[in-house]
Amino acid sequence: MASTPRSGMVRINPWILVALAVYAVAGLTGIVVLLSPTMNNRMTDTDLTSTFLHPLSPGHPLGTDSLGRDLMWRLLGGLGVSICVGVGVALISIVLGLALGVFGGFFGRTASFATGLVVDVTWAFPAILLAIVFAGWLGPGLPAVVLALALTGWASFAVIVRGEMLSLRERDFIAAARVLGVSRLKISLTHLLVSLFPVTMVVSVFFVSTSIVAESGLSFLGLGAQPPTPSLGVILAEGRDYLSQSWWPVILAGALLTGLVLLLNALADNVRDRFDPRSRRLQ
Amino acid sequence: MRFALQRLAYAVLVLFLASVVTFFSMRVTPGDVTASIVNVATTPPEVVEKLKEQLGLNLPIWQQYWNYLTGMVTGHLGVSLVTKLPVTTLIANSASYTVILAISAFFVAFGLGVPIGVIAALNRGGWFDRVALAVASFFLAIPNFVLALVAVLVLGLQLRWLPVSGSTSWKNLILPALILAAEPCALTVRVGRTAVLEQLSADYIRTLWARGIRQVRIHWIHVLRNSLSPIISLGSIQVRTLLGYTLIIEVIFRWPGLGTQLVNSILHRDYPVAQALALLLAAVVIISSALTDLVYRWADPRVRLSGSEAA
Repeated sequence: MASTPRSGMVRINPWILVALAVYAVAGLTGIVVLLSPTMNNRMTDTDLTSTFLHPLSPGHPLGTDSLGRDLMWRLLGGLGVSICVGVGVALISIVLGLALGVFGGFFGRTASFATGLVVDVTWAFPAILLAIVFAGWLGPGLPAVVLALALTGWASFAVIVRGEMLSLRERDFIAAARVLGVSRLKISLTHLLVSLFPVTMVVSVFFVSTSIVAESGLSFLGLGAQPPTPSLGVILAEGRDYLSQSWWPVILAGALLTGLVLLLNALADNVRDRFDPRSRRLQ
Repeated sequence: MRFALQRLAYAVLVLFLASVVTFFSMRVTPGDVTASIVNVATTPPEVVEKLKEQLGLNLPIWQQYWNYLTGMVTGHLGVSLVTKLPVTTLIANSASYTVILAISAFFVAFGLGVPIGVIAALNRGGWFDRVALAVASFFLAIPNFVLALVAVLVLGLQLRWLPVSGSTSWKNLILPALILAAEPCALTVRVGRTAVLEQLSADYIRTLWARGIRQVRIHWIHVLRNSLSPIISLGSIQVRTLLGYTLIIEVIFRWPGLGTQLVNSILHRDYPVAQALALLLAAVVIISSALTDLVYRWADPRVRLSGSEAA
């Protein structure tokens, strides 16, 4: 499947990048319109005289929903929300996971045990529960969702980082650095973090895709973005109630979400193959 | 045996910490518990105080935690603030639904996923392999609540093959179980395929060939057994994700299980129910993870040997 250029490196499939760029432009448009006080009424204005318009109706290229809101603008806004949440959660999870993973992997057995314990306790809870707790503190909405997802997401990355650390620690170049008197902290900040770069890339893409799904899931249940904010999860939940009258809100929002996740997963596979020749051999 | 005891002690420690987190995270949430029972603005303060006393909310926080902990251990989980039914009754009524749903999904996922993964690996590069991988990528990408809505639309509303909500007959189980199984099944196909491919290139396979062992036996006994450990560790991760997904799937199909109860109790701020269910889910995850470690040692002697040195 993967083409192997002469250099031996797998190239990232350019079509995936092009398609993701299209998604990014659409999402950014959505964010700009959503944040602009004069234009965001396109996404929220209701018009009860033109409800359930089919796609390709005049003035509404993708039709309207049960309240007559323009579906194209709502989907663009929802995409913007998804991308913001995905990137935000990925950033926080990566920083937290790196910090705790390095700590657990390089600072002795007690640190390793303590990190493992925190990870196991974190893993015992569904993100939905944390989402409620933060919704109580901050009010229901996207900040609560981002915090809840980041605070459950970091754990899986910390485990990966700790595992890599434990094996890297035994390698000769680290031993050489120790012998030369380089401090543990400096070793972990320079040599080890650089060695962790490939796995971090793969996991970041993975985090973006899983948190986009989780955000729309929580919003779908009414625990995330609150109407009238056009999250894809909110559009799906509202569309579900009118499934027998109009199929297009659910199908369009679902296809948009699935396409994005499909692309991100393909990108993650590509990045992994690029850095890990072993996984490429098994394709 | 020593390993099993150590693992058990660790599980108890994690469970204890989980109970602390559950309890305090519910308590720090603003919004008085009493506000979910009575309208605080119109009820006389004495009545609210009386209510707090009844619920044990006037005690110091550590004492409340102690009561909660002893309650959990002895099975006195309190009474739902909304339905006034004992929490144990609520759990008993809905647990069987969730267990049936989760077990069906688990069997579909592994019962389909493992054979498909093995066959795909044995026909590497062939049409079956390519189709299986493409379908698996699709099911990994489509969020299961989207899949559920599409299934409801097509199979339920358009073709009218299957009921889309409720729990009255075994037909109600088919859609939620299949949709819950879709993603774990796709993941099993991919992981199983990779694991088998890795084994097929190992030296011992050539030895088995040289000894004249039949191909079917090599593939489905020797290779499969050695490919099991990644599939088992996948299974343990699946328990956690499966539980998370069950919440959404149960709500969509109005399946009266623990997930529906948990979402409702949280939305209605029904703390006793939410706390008990959260801890119950946490306990299932913790216990299944401990069991996985034990099964893992049974299936892979290498883990057993390296483990005994390190532990």
